[in-house]
Amino acid sequence: MKRAKTIAIVAGFGFFFLALIIQAIVPYVMKQYKTVQYAVTKTVRTPLGLLTQVKTQAVPYTDVLAKGRTIFMHEGCWYCHSQFTRPVAGETRRWGPLPEVGEYAYDLPHLLSTRRIGPDILRVGGKYGDDWHAAHYFDPRMVVPDSVMPRFTWFFKKEGDHFVLNDDGKAIVAYVQNLGMSRGKWRDEFPYQIAAQGSAPAFTAKESVDHGKEVYLRRCVGCHGEKGDGKGTAPSLVQFAVALPRDFTSGQFKFRTTQTGALPTDADLYRTITAGIRGTAMPTWFNLSEDDRWDVIHYVKTFDPDFGAIPPEQPLYIPQAPKPDADLIAKGKLTYEDLKCWECHGQEGRGDGEKSDTLKDDFDNKILPANFTTGVFKGGPRPEDIYRTVMTGLNGTPMPSNFDAVTQQNIDPWALAYYILSFSADKQ
Amino acid sequence: MATTFPFLKIIRFLNIYILNGKAKLMQSENNLVNNKIVKQWLMWGFFWGIVAPTMGILLSLKFNYPDFLSNEYFHFGRLRPVHTNGVIFGVFSTIFLGLVNYMVPKLTGVKMYKDEWSKYTMWLWNLSLFAGFAGVLLGYNKGLEVDEFPNPVGLGFIISLVLISYQVFMSIAQRKEEKIYVALWYTIAALIWTDLNLVFGNFVLPYIMPGVSNAALHGLFLHYVVGLWITPGGLAIIYYFLSAASKTPIYSHRLSLVGFWSLAFVYPFVGIHHYLFAPTPYWTQTIAIVTSMLLIVPVWAVVANFYGTLMGGKWGLAQSDFTVKLLIFGAAMYFIGSTQGSLEALRSVQVPTHFTDFVIAHSHSTVFGGYVVFTLAACYYVWPRVAGTGYSRTVAQWSSWMIMLGISTMIAVLILQGLIQGTELVAGAEFVDSVVTMKPYWMIRTFTGITMDIGVALVGLNLYYSKTARTTP
Repeated sequence: MKRAKTIAIVAGFGFFFLALIIQAIVPYVMKQYKTVQYAVTKTVRTPLGLLTQVKTQAVPYTDVLAKGRTIFMHEGCWYCHSQFTRPVAGETRRWGPLPEVGEYAYDLPHLLSTRRIGPDILRVGGKYGDDWHAAHYFDPRMVVPDSVMPRFTWFFKKEGDHFVLNDDGKAIVAYVQNLGMSRGKWRDEFPYQIAAQGSAPAFTAKESVDHGKEVYLRRCVGCHGEKGDGKGTAPSLVQFAVALPRDFTSGQFKFRTTQTGALPTDADLYRTITAGIRGTAMPTWFNLSEDDRWDVIHYVKTFDPDFGAIPPEQPLYIPQAPKPDADLIAKGKLTYEDLKCWECHGQEGRGDGEKSDTLKDDFDNKILPANFTTGVFKGGPRPEDIYRTVMTGLNGTPMPSNFDAVTQQNIDPWALAYYILSFSADKQ
Repeated sequence: MATTFPFLKIIRFLNIYILNGKAKLMQSENNLVNNKIVKQWLMWGFFWGIVAPTMGILLSLKFNYPDFLSNEYFHFGRLRPVHTNGVIFGVFSTIFLGLVNYMVPKLTGVKMYKDEWSKYTMWLWNLSLFAGFAGVLLGYNKGLEVDEFPNPVGLGFIISLVLISYQVFMSIAQRKEEKIYVALWYTIAALIWTDLNLVFGNFVLPYIMPGVSNAALHGLFLHYVVGLWITPGGLAIIYYFLSAASKTPIYSHRLSLVGFWSLAFVYPFVGIHHYLFAPTPYWTQTIAIVTSMLLIVPVWAVVANFYGTLMGGKWGLAQSDFTVKLLIFGAAMYFIGSTQGSLEALRSVQVPTHFTDFVIAHSHSTVFGGYVVFTLAACYYVWPRVAGTGYSRTVAQWSSWMIMLGISTMIAVLILQGLIQGTELVAGAEFVDSVVTMKPYWMIRTFTGITMDIGVALVGLNLYYSKTARTTP
């Protein structure tokens, strides 16, 4: 070849720009990709307390989120955590719904990433609570002993005996918790993390308990502690702002289908482990095999001898939820008045009732009544979950059982359940 | 004083004799090449050849000892770009740019145009590397997967490279050899592509077209760095030095034409294959897959050309000549790694292997096993000629085998890891469980890394500290 210019112009400039135009510029300006660019399918709650999907738009990052995203980028978090799930390899089951173009509308530069040394985090928002993230940033091995993630201790400052997130730490937790949130309440209808009832294996073999212990030591010990007393290393080092880990030796379990004060059934524990306790440090464990989940329950029960001594109770029967209408919601509002829910939870469900400042749980810790408007329901977001909490109360907390009131005063607990859900209705 | 005078005279005489002799030798061979500049570029390459792989070892240790160096400035996310860019812009690029200063005068028959500039471009390039590394370690990562350096550090690379490009083009314009050898085609293309690409990556890509379109741009940029800088640069090296070291003309001119033009046309399109199954337009992904598979054409063409060159009874040189030895090995790695890369772009292959160490195996077998090994091979040829010194054959033998065994074992382990973790996840394993499975393999990988990194360091140290006179013809 004799002509250097041919090489320079055709190969050097020509092919470079040809590829750039075909592979990036053309798709960007094509009309069909423009029109879908900002559409996001969002799961919202209607004023009737039901979930539905609407087409909406992603919102720009607020200052805190933008700061968190910058930290995420600067620290190189994205080298190991991708931000797109694929329609293959069971990823929609593992992490959540597929991404849409519109969800990335404000990502500049994008952070899709090409490697997963850690899990994909496109849908991580809401999977863990802020307390879990704090503990995890402080030392990932506290909560995930097999993790290979670095510690991010410079996101913390010391206050008293505990480490709390500083401004950078708060920003990055806010950013991570916001991931996938343009899809709204998708997690409330994510089928894999809902365990409606489930039935435990009737026979508990020693092997099962032993395996449960292995699971416990790899997944639970950081918060609940080796003795199951809720005094793991995580809550002893990092400030848990929302709720402390359960003390399994206390015999107090919040989310049950059994009567107030009674121990939960295995199925209750299974449901809590599967779905997690939203807003708190307790994550969802639906990715664990069913055997792992059942066996760890058998192990957790060994912390409290009462589990073996007291025969299990007949659980509450939760019937099929009715379809709500405006009348049912109105009826629920009256029930909310009658049962004096507003004394703690407030007239508008914000958890700011007149008694709300004075409440303490059985461990003498200050406790806040649930704020229904956030849409974060610890016991679960389904009407059946609210029904259960209304009927059986939350052990160890001031939340009473309304079982007697319901049966004696002919109250419809479904009306109350849907009314409570309707507090978290999204503005259209 | 008087008694010592004759003694000094003898010393001076001998000195002059030796120096002149050496100078004469170099003069006769390299009267076009600016030896000092080439030497300095290569020295920087040796330096980065110790630094960048060491970072890789530190990083790989973090897989098994995550608390090791887990502080604000040296945790995985900040150290990783030092390793990747250290290899790409440090080891490979500094040696390649040194070799450009050697090859271009040889191939054009004229001195490098304004070769005094090279002093400045060399310092600018290396200082930019230092500044960039300081930038990412202090936490100013730009969010690209290569060239993460904060702006305006990128400007240093761009100015440096544009000046070098200008020198090369002017030299070619003034050339005395009418025909342009294939190594020069690749050099011309690599320089133009990368001038454009660095401007694009540093000053355009981070600021336009948000969202998945930005991912498309980034995929292209990312693959332009490996495909339109390292690949043509590396191929220029092997085309020149395989011929030069074996004293054989290249096997087929036609094959080199096929290889060059198919690479030039196809390679720019492949970048989107980093984001298959992402919500980018499906057809752009398909184009990326088709072109990735088409890359088999240039890869196999050039590898056939290399091995064809050795067919005329030159294979024996692999035993006596370290340049040929490493080039043969590097070409094999290039062949394996690039073919794996093409297959990796297939959707069905990506289902289990994407996001795993399978891809990391590909990047190590090509960038290290192929191109960095090419540059090291060329150093065995060029350094004795520009420095006038020889090197220890024993050390060279050890280092070659450490490099070859190290990288071969590493890519075997990484491919295995990727397939294991990928299939495990497809089968529905919990994610952390799949990470636990990887840990013993990561340990092996650390040892393979240490092995090959010692090998690389020995190449530089062996050449740089050699006191013996050059013996190779």
